Amino acid sequence: MAMAPDVLFNLRNNFYLGAYQAAINNSDVPNLSEEDAIERDCLVYRSYIAIGSYQLVINEVDSSAATPLQAVKLLALYLFSPDSKENAISSIREWLGDAAIGNNPILRLIAGTIFMHEQDYNEALKYTNAGGTMELYALNVHIFLKMNRSDYAEKQLRVMQQMDEDHTLTQLATAWLNLAVGGSKIQEAYLIFQDFSEKYQMTSLILNGKAVCCMHMGNFDEAESFLLEALNKDAKDQETLANLVVCSLHLGKPSARFLSQLKLSDPEHTLVKRGLTAEENFDRAMQTVG
Amino acid sequence: MLTKFETKSNRVKGLSFHSKRPWILASLHSGVIQLWDYRMGTLIDRFDEHDGPVRGVHFHQSQPLFVSGGDDYKIKIWRMNDTKAWEVDTLRGHMNNVSCVLFHARQDIIVSNSEDKSIRVWDATKRTGLQTFRREHDRFWILGCHPEMNLLAAGHDSGMIVFKLERERPAFSVSGDSLYFVKDRFLRFYDYTSQKDTQILPIRRPGSISLNQGPRTLCYSPTENAILICSDVDGGSYELYIIPKDSITRGDTVQEAKRGVGGSAVFVARNRFAVLEKSTNQVLVKNLKNEIVKKSALPVAADAIFYAGTGNLLCRAEDRVFIFDLQQRLVLGDLQTSFVRYVVWSSDMESVALLSKHSIIIADKKLVHRCTLHETIRVKSGSWDDNGVFIYTTLTHIKYCLPNGDSGIIKTLDVPVYITKIFGNTLFYLDRDGKNRPIVIDSTEYVFKLSLLKKRFDHVMSMIRNSELCGQAMIAYLQQKGFPEVALHFVKDERTRFNLALESGNIQIAVASAKEIDEKDHWYRLGVEALRQGNSGIVEYAYQRTKNFERLSFLYLITGNLDKLSKMMKISEVKNDVMGQFHNALYLGDVQERIKILVNAGHLHLAYATAKTHGLNDIVEDLADKLNGSVPNLPSGRSSSLLICPTPVLCGGDWPLLRTMKGIFEGGLDNAGKGGNEEYEDAADADWGEELDIVDVENIQNGDISMVPDDEEAHEDNEEGGWDLEDLELPPDVETPKAATSRSSVFVAPTAGMPVSQIWVQKSSLAAEHAAAGNFDTAMRLLSRQLGIKNFTPLKSLFIDLHMGSHSYLRAFSSAPLISLAIERGWSESASPNVRAPPALVFSFSQLEEKLKAGYKATTTGKFTEALRLFLSILHTIPLIVVESRREVDEVKELIIIVKEYVLGLQMELKRRELRDNPVRQQELAAYFTHCNLQLPHLRLALMNAMTVCYKAGNLITASNFARRLLETNPTAENQTKTARSVMQAAERNMKDSTQLNYDFRNPFVVCGATYVPIYRGQKDVLCPGRIRCFRLTVFSSSDQMIHKSFLQSYQSQFFSLNVSGFRSRVEDFCLVADVLCCYIREPITLNCRLDFGYEFSFWRFDIQIFVFLEFVEIWCRLKTVTVVWHSQSGVGL
Repeated sequence: MAMAPDVLFNLRNNFYLGAYQAAINNSDVPNLSEEDAIERDCLVYRSYIAIGSYQLVINEVDSSAATPLQAVKLLALYLFSPDSKENAISSIREWLGDAAIGNNPILRLIAGTIFMHEQDYNEALKYTNAGGTMELYALNVHIFLKMNRSDYAEKQLRVMQQMDEDHTLTQLATAWLNLAVGGSKIQEAYLIFQDFSEKYQMTSLILNGKAVCCMHMGNFDEAESFLLEALNKDAKDQETLANLVVCSLHLGKPSARFLSQLKLSDPEHTLVKRGLTAEENFDRAMQTVG
Repeated sequence: MLTKFETKSNRVKGLSFHSKRPWILASLHSGVIQLWDYRMGTLIDRFDEHDGPVRGVHFHQSQPLFVSGGDDYKIKIWRMNDTKAWEVDTLRGHMNNVSCVLFHARQDIIVSNSEDKSIRVWDATKRTGLQTFRREHDRFWILGCHPEMNLLAAGHDSGMIVFKLERERPAFSVSGDSLYFVKDRFLRFYDYTSQKDTQILPIRRPGSISLNQGPRTLCYSPTENAILICSDVDGGSYELYIIPKDSITRGDTVQEAKRGVGGSAVFVARNRFAVLEKSTNQVLVKNLKNEIVKKSALPVAADAIFYAGTGNLLCRAEDRVFIFDLQQRLVLGDLQTSFVRYVVWSSDMESVALLSKHSIIIADKKLVHRCTLHETIRVKSGSWDDNGVFIYTTLTHIKYCLPNGDSGIIKTLDVPVYITKIFGNTLFYLDRDGKNRPIVIDSTEYVFKLSLLKKRFDHVMSMIRNSELCGQAMIAYLQQKGFPEVALHFVKDERTRFNLALESGNIQIAVASAKEIDEKDHWYRLGVEALRQGNSGIVEYAYQRTKNFERLSFLYLITGNLDKLSKMMKISEVKNDVMGQFHNALYLGDVQERIKILVNAGHLHLAYATAKTHGLNDIVEDLADKLNGSVPNLPSGRSSSLLICPTPVLCGGDWPLLRTMKGIFEGGLDNAGKGGNEEYEDAADADWGEELDIVDVENIQNGDISMVPDDEEAHEDNEEGGWDLEDLELPPDVETPKAATSRSSVFVAPTAGMPVSQIWVQKSSLAAEHAAAGNFDTAMRLLSRQLGIKNFTPLKSLFIDLHMGSHSYLRAFSSAPLISLAIERGWSESASPNVRAPPALVFSFSQLEEKLKAGYKATTTGKFTEALRLFLSILHTIPLIVVESRREVDEVKELIIIVKEYVLGLQMELKRRELRDNPVRQQELAAYFTHCNLQLPHLRLALMNAMTVCYKAGNLITASNFARRLLETNPTAENQTKTARSVMQAAERNMKDSTQLNYDFRNPFVVCGATYVPIYRGQKDVLCPGRIRCFRLTVFSSSDQMIHKSFLQSYQSQFFSLNVSGFRSRVEDFCLVADVLCCYIREPITLNCRLDFGYEFSFWRFDIQIFVFLEFVEIWCRLKTVTVVWHSQSGVGL
């Protein structure tokens, strides 16, 4: 069972824990096999996507690049603008139908991600449910949680635990599930984020994780301090801003500024949409009830 | 020699006294052992069991036992009673003559040695051999045993050895404020704060019989509350114990521990510990069930592992230690060391101390070397203090080591101790008996040095000022470490002071010291330093003091001080110092003078040449005469002229200097007095702050009249069974999963589950929870039905806030959509997962209390618009407040009453301010304001206000009435009392009211919330200006007490809302409802309520014009019986 050193460990870990810039900066790992180099490039490009540099990925990945990289480029195209969405979806469907590459785990992963954005979870699961890599299982957990099916998410998680219980993704997925099922499990989720924060570079993903746990445990003061710390790291992080809005509301503090910052940095954010639909709903309800 | 007793025995080889009885054992060459009573002089017994000479005999210290060993290679154990002794057992094993045998002083063992070159240890109870220590060439001849300590000595052919058999260091582990350690087969717990020592659980006795099998290390996991105990049993093994939750089992039942073999075992993360498998050089990562989770091969052969942060191990190899990351399977850092025995991490895990037998290495968390300390005496233990100083013990001392490697002695030790923890200057240690003891150490020295090192000069200064740390050693240290300016402040001796001042360039202190010393050498050195600094004043002074005229002249020359230079020339002249005079003349460029000097000195030729060169022809001729023509030949071809001196560039003064460090020390120390002043000023500021706070405090007290909101308990909306809370415990996705699980061959995606917000809606009948779930229409219906609210516009932002605050956001998988997580309220550690709790609402009663306080404050400061806004927002929020207990329901009601009064009062006051040209109405409104139920300070202000308004308008009687009422409140402010008194006096002189007000303070009244006119008791209704009919109603509550309430309709005002979800509405509650209505009803509204009259729990539903309803209540109250069940959907009256 003893294995050779995992050269991409840090890179992967940084990526999973949201330290995207660190992942990009420390991607220069010497003596990589060809396979590892492709994985490395995938991780780097996915990090760029995560920080919103879609154009860079679209420009840098050319048509001669390996399938996984092409898939990553599709994700960049999909997220880049509403206009390129349809193209990206049709390309990915085409590739998924191609027997030679259709089974590529990164391609399936990207497909799952894109169809999640489309809120077509059935379609997403069509490609991801078979699993195969830790990432695919983690994505499955994510999809099932989006579907409010924590029972299925738990099954996927068990597979991950059997593969490698200490894997960062396993731990993360455990935290997601714990948060979703709530109750005493929230504390366990908190401990997982706590472990991460002790062991790895503090990222806004970890801080947000801790803050969300605190909020769910009713401890909004502590949540606020984590979120402000996260805001210090990245003043535009959408997740941080959204959670700050929520947290401030619970603390009875003004939240409007965070909300307008969030509207600026991501007008499509769930919270922003929630606020807008809420207003419409209210007016409609006034008419029906009033 | 005073012989007490003597025997005739042949060749006595061994002797042993009994510790208490007058007995002595003698072993003879013949193999006989004699037991003598030396007082009686009798032979008690003799034993002839040994074959051949018996060399060693020894009594047990406490038990009736003795041992003997002889040339038959045997050791015999004997037991005795008062009359006889008999052989109990024979220990066989030595291969040659046994030289000596004895009982160990502290352990239940027998130690023997022999000519077979071995020392053997035997279990005295089981009578079996425990261990054998052999030497290659040396036969053993004699043994010694320390009477108290755990020490033995053995003599052999070529020397002797002092040794002990077992480790005495207790295994321990520090976790936060507590210590876990093993003592006498028990795991114990020591709390540093309470200094209490508790037994937690018994641990297993080692099954094996050999020595040194006790716990060697102990590792505690705070998250799992578990311990790992490692020992040398079976060549290295560990045991895992879980400390029971309720802790502390006094019993002797040993927990069935999980065991395993391994070099060492440590916790590395939650539910993970690592075990070193030496044979394969692998680390096994196990979970608490003792199952292997993972294996990692170590890159270098290690013989021990230590904790090094989550997921990391510090591994000890032969000549190095390295940190291994178990997940990455990478070495994060390594360091060459001698054999490391103990590893001590600082509490922030940033620094580690590696203790070897004779050295300590300090490194950082990546094992980057910081410093190494060498000790001649063995290093025993250590711990990090809060400041990053490593405090350690050797056999004989407690010492410190600073981050830069400086070390020193804190204290001498009589016996070795094991430091476990340091808090400030209290050091906790375990002694060899396993007792925890605190001692206070003097930390001054190392804290001082640390402050110096960290350049915390403020600390340094305060320490210099406050404490008496001094001495040559400290001065030498400071000097050596480059802090002469600090040392300066310790020193009284002027010479040292002078030296230090020079070293630190502090010229002022140097001058002062030089004056005290007044020695040439010191003046000279001062001069040199001053010159170096360009401080010409001091240089001059120093030269003057040493009468060093040559240097002085040169100084004047280079500083261009020509006046002084001429004086110097004069002085030389007076002193008859020709050379000096000449030099000065040369410096001055005074050619005549030079010639004069040369002439006087008899150097006429030179004088001539000088004069000639400078073209002083008169003198040339003069001199030529004197020389009688024998003038020197001077080179021709040069025009001669007088020397013209250049103008000096710099005329005197000191050279400009860069600012030095003076500020910190000098300034700090000298300004001690000044600093004190500043502190005083600070203190004054603080007082101010407090004084301001007093207002707050008062408000808080007032606010404490207390109030809070509710929901479920009083809930009684059971018109629809679906709202009931009991049947809502259904786990969310029970029905759906089954469909998909049975078919696994072909994947069918499961149907989506129910979002938590939907569950909330299903479970709840509280409007706020529906709003949080985003179901605004149902929320509005609930409010409408429960509270009769019709106008929801003011609730819009509240609804949206509730909804927005209901979920948190989690970025799960990168670039995939966020997960929204429903935030539930009332979380507890024991809450079961998958059971949905109601939503956490963004509005809470405590927030309202805050708002109330803010409202009070705004009222106090006269910001009435702001105050009104706050109070109204409280009323708007109340329908959306959910409370958990009946008590809180009452508090909410109380809050409504309080706020209602303020809203009415403030509205009147704001109205009053608009009416500048209507003094009568102004007075009336000010007067009504004083009848609102306000907090005392506010009431006083209202009274002051009304008094002033009325007084100014000439209504003295009314004004004096307010003054009286004001005085009755015992106002705290002096000026209020004074004004009130003078108003009363003025009124007494002139008892009249100049205008007639609609205000009769003797007759109780309430104020209409719409038109602000009083309705006096007994008045059934009033027709207010406009079209509004105001009511007064007397209602009897069930307890037959009179409650006066006025129910008014008003024309405008925002909206009516009243919550109190699931109000158990009695008549009083209705009065309350109606009370609130008076302030907030816009139009003739429809009230939608249920009533629970008395005990009969009958429900009515009214959809009526309010006054009709109120009249009904009145009728009901009069009749005290309920006979009518009335229902109307239409809103048309009875």
